[in-house]
Amino acid sequence: MSTSNYEIGIVDTRAVLKILTSMGYDFRDYALTAFKRRLEHVIALHGLKNADGLMGKLNSQPEFIDQFIHDITPSTTEMFRDPSFWRVLRDEVLPEVFKGPSQPKIWLAALDSGEELYSLAIILKEQNLLDKVQLYANYSSEKTLARVKAGTLDMRNIETNEANYLRLNGKSTIHSYLSTTASHAFDPSLVEGVNFIFQKTTITEAPSAVRLALFRNRMIYQNHFLQEKTLQMLTNSLVAGGFLALGVKETLENTNTSNKFTVFNDNEKLYKRKT
Amino acid sequence: MHKAVIIGGSAGSFQVITRILSAMPANFPLPVLLCLHRLKHVRSGFVEALSIKSSIPVIEPMDKEQIKPGRAYLAPANYHMYIELGNKIALSTEEPVNHSRPSIDLSFITAAQVYREKLIGIILSGANRDGAYGLKRVKDHGGMAIVQDPEECQVKTMTDTSLKMTKVDHIFNTNEIIRFLQKIKHP
Repeated sequence: MSTSNYEIGIVDTRAVLKILTSMGYDFRDYALTAFKRRLEHVIALHGLKNADGLMGKLNSQPEFIDQFIHDITPSTTEMFRDPSFWRVLRDEVLPEVFKGPSQPKIWLAALDSGEELYSLAIILKEQNLLDKVQLYANYSSEKTLARVKAGTLDMRNIETNEANYLRLNGKSTIHSYLSTTASHAFDPSLVEGVNFIFQKTTITEAPSAVRLALFRNRMIYQNHFLQEKTLQMLTNSLVAGGFLALGVKETLENTNTSNKFTVFNDNEKLYKRKT
Repeated sequence: MHKAVIIGGSAGSFQVITRILSAMPANFPLPVLLCLHRLKHVRSGFVEALSIKSSIPVIEPMDKEQIKPGRAYLAPANYHMYIELGNKIALSTEEPVNHSRPSIDLSFITAAQVYREKLIGIILSGANRDGAYGLKRVKDHGGMAIVQDPEECQVKTMTDTSLKMTKVDHIFNTNEIIRFLQKIKHP
């Protein structure tokens, strides 16, 4: 992401939001500053100069919307972000998740650029749990989905990914999870059992009886109203005793759902659904 | 009348910022936004280190935290810190800018959009050009631009680049920055 000289104004932002909403993609309850920066990013990426250029492209090439959603969605940019979170997940949360009936459901409620899903799959595989789980992941862009299914994550971050992996004391090396046939790709068999759920801009369909839901660093892109709505969906999908993981700077405090959860680990923002 | 102070720094800025925070009046009338380059994988320790000598509370904000006067807000490790309309902090995991997350440019640009001419931007010692463009945006929006005197900086890249890009209002050494901030009164 660059700091281009073009800054989109509030009037133009509203005009873009209107077009997107008319196409069924409602971003009106996204956090404004980050959304404006994402628009500037998309405009620069496609050489569109300004908001008029972007609106012209959306109007004249409706199929551009999938590429737009791919580009506007902030990537996680690293695997195993917050290694201490993944350690706690592996050592304290997963044993509880797998205590109950067989084939527990784990739900990654937003796909980002694939790093969270591959991190989760690798952790599960190392615990010999990957074939004993039902994995769900929500996605918004077909292009993103195709990349994730092919394992083509951003390889510029491989050093960061490796450093994070070492910090969580993984069982192998990050390179052992690369594809043996394709270059610059992770092993796509890690995610072949995942059930992918399409959504536009917000969660509309959720699996039921989920034992662990991950929604890390996605609420930061939403305003308070949409955060409440999303948390309601996440809460309803979880079984009693199920876990919810948020980003380490996101919190249930001061939300309507806080009374539905107990804090399992405050540093890593892991919550447990009350019975 | 100003509404916020934003300070950016990198290599060589820790002692400067510690001195500034220790000299702040306890009833400082504005929020102080701090974007300092830091190790991305070390989440704890930094805010505690800055708090020891600070005369105002130093907070590592949660997402959408309300910004209040008389407090310092430190950009958390591995997040960009934006200033959102409605006087709130918004965090982001978007790609690093100038190899930095938090990026000083992004904090300064978004603060400039919200506070416009009522913002004071200060760039301290640093080994990276991150922050120079942000300070320019502060000035473009009518805010006040201050740069630490490069003669005093441990590393001059950040201040030199800032001075090349922007006709700043003041070049101050640490003592002058402190005296300037101490003179800011309640509206």
